[in-house]
Amino acid sequence: MNYIWLALIAIGILTAIGTDIYEISINKYKNGVEFQAFLEIEDDFKFGTQLRGNIIVSGDYFKEFYSLKNFKVDSIKNEITLNVNQDGKGVLIVKIGETTPEFWKLMAKGKGVNTDKLIANVFNLEKLGDGKYKVTLVFEKISFVKMKQILNAIIEYSDIAVKIAIGLIGVMALWLGIMKIGESAGLINLLARLVKPLTKRLFPDIPPEHPAIGAIIMNISANMLGLGNAATPLGLKAMEELQKLNPKKDTASDSMITFLVINTSGMTLIPATAIAVRAALGSGDPAAIISTTIVGGFAATIAGITSAKILQRLKIFRKELEENENQKEVQG
Amino acid sequence: MNFKEIMNIISVIAIPFVIFSFLFYGFFKKVKVYESFVEGAKEGFNVAVRIIPYLVAMLVAIGIFRASGAMDVFVAILSPITNLIGFPAEALPMALMRPLSGSGSLGIMTEIMKTHGPDSFLGLLVSTMYGSTETTFYVLAVYFGSVNIRKTRHAVLAGVISDITGLLTAFFICKLVFG
Repeated sequence: MNYIWLALIAIGILTAIGTDIYEISINKYKNGVEFQAFLEIEDDFKFGTQLRGNIIVSGDYFKEFYSLKNFKVDSIKNEITLNVNQDGKGVLIVKIGETTPEFWKLMAKGKGVNTDKLIANVFNLEKLGDGKYKVTLVFEKISFVKMKQILNAIIEYSDIAVKIAIGLIGVMALWLGIMKIGESAGLINLLARLVKPLTKRLFPDIPPEHPAIGAIIMNISANMLGLGNAATPLGLKAMEELQKLNPKKDTASDSMITFLVINTSGMTLIPATAIAVRAALGSGDPAAIISTTIVGGFAATIAGITSAKILQRLKIFRKELEENENQKEVQG
Repeated sequence: MNFKEIMNIISVIAIPFVIFSFLFYGFFKKVKVYESFVEGAKEGFNVAVRIIPYLVAMLVAIGIFRASGAMDVFVAILSPITNLIGFPAEALPMALMRPLSGSGSLGIMTEIMKTHGPDSFLGLLVSTMYGSTETTFYVLAVYFGSVNIRKTRHAVLAGVISDITGLLTAFFICKLVFG
């Protein structure tokens, strides 16, 4: 886990730095380069006040200016505000909206702040008549786009993490409460006894009638039925029970890993999310993928359990468990 | 009534049924159901709070990875290899994203189906891939986090093997059924 975690972060940051430096070297965002366009001003023209209007750019000019490969728009029309002084110098603000070309959206996003607009300095304004003007401008400097996106991602994802955890509190409490009743009534034990032939093989180090088995079975059933809301609390309940049996509290036991692999392979009988998206996008047969998904999930589960069972015997993965046993002997 | 309808009905009634039967069985066995429920439910908050550090660590790393555009680099490196088995390059981001991020892979699946149509081979393939495996790294972080386990031994490796198998099987079965 240490390596994977480090790798994700390191690869991410290095790629971002590399991309940013490359983009600076080719001046991808044409920082400091003069851009020419036409304006249509709706308000009565007056120097020193904010005027509303549109910027008009031909698709070919835009494509060539930013050296874009795939750009198929004939003409760009985008909402702006303009404020110029008598000497023809001033500020033009491009409002990012639905008609804004993707590349400008990307530039605005890359600023990190005020991402709803692009600001440009106006150097020359030439009147063509009838509210139409020809303008020469230079957009604000844009660099380190990827680094800014990473910065945003860091903040956004730490927030999401807490929101997910907080969102779990309710269902977690509900299912832990229900499970407690089941335990006190002996229902969980009964459940465990029913599936004993199967679980004996999958989880040899759990006593057959331990409450962990009951929770595991309920978690797997919930997953099969696509009941994600119930599956996670039941799975965490199972982990809690497995942890009670675990001799080394900071290290995963064989049973825990087998159980987790069953969960990460996500065997389900009804892929509800995928079906819903397909239906929403107008599929002729949204449920066509049920059989293929069951086969895929089944294969993933079998491969996961098999590899967990084989890997747990390997020396490198036993080491952490045995270190513990040696320590015990020394302490004893 | 087809398989899908039956499954839908079962998923709708499953939770009320389980709750009802637990309560009823508990009552029958003379368990003080209300007190017992509250006693168990008390732990809910603690479990949720306990997973926060693990979730923050995992999601931030995945967030950095996604924002950096490193995915495109991996797609470029891997596509010559996956081309050998005829795996479409368009579906490769899906395969790479699926174990990392649920919302990310949902976005990719939706995007591909929007572009190529949900009933095209690609659309069927990515939606099968989406259902064939779970968000491995998220599950690992939450489940191990809830009991404060930091040394995960072979869990990641086994999880990734299962993901790869699931995704490849999804491809082969789609080719067989829809190809």
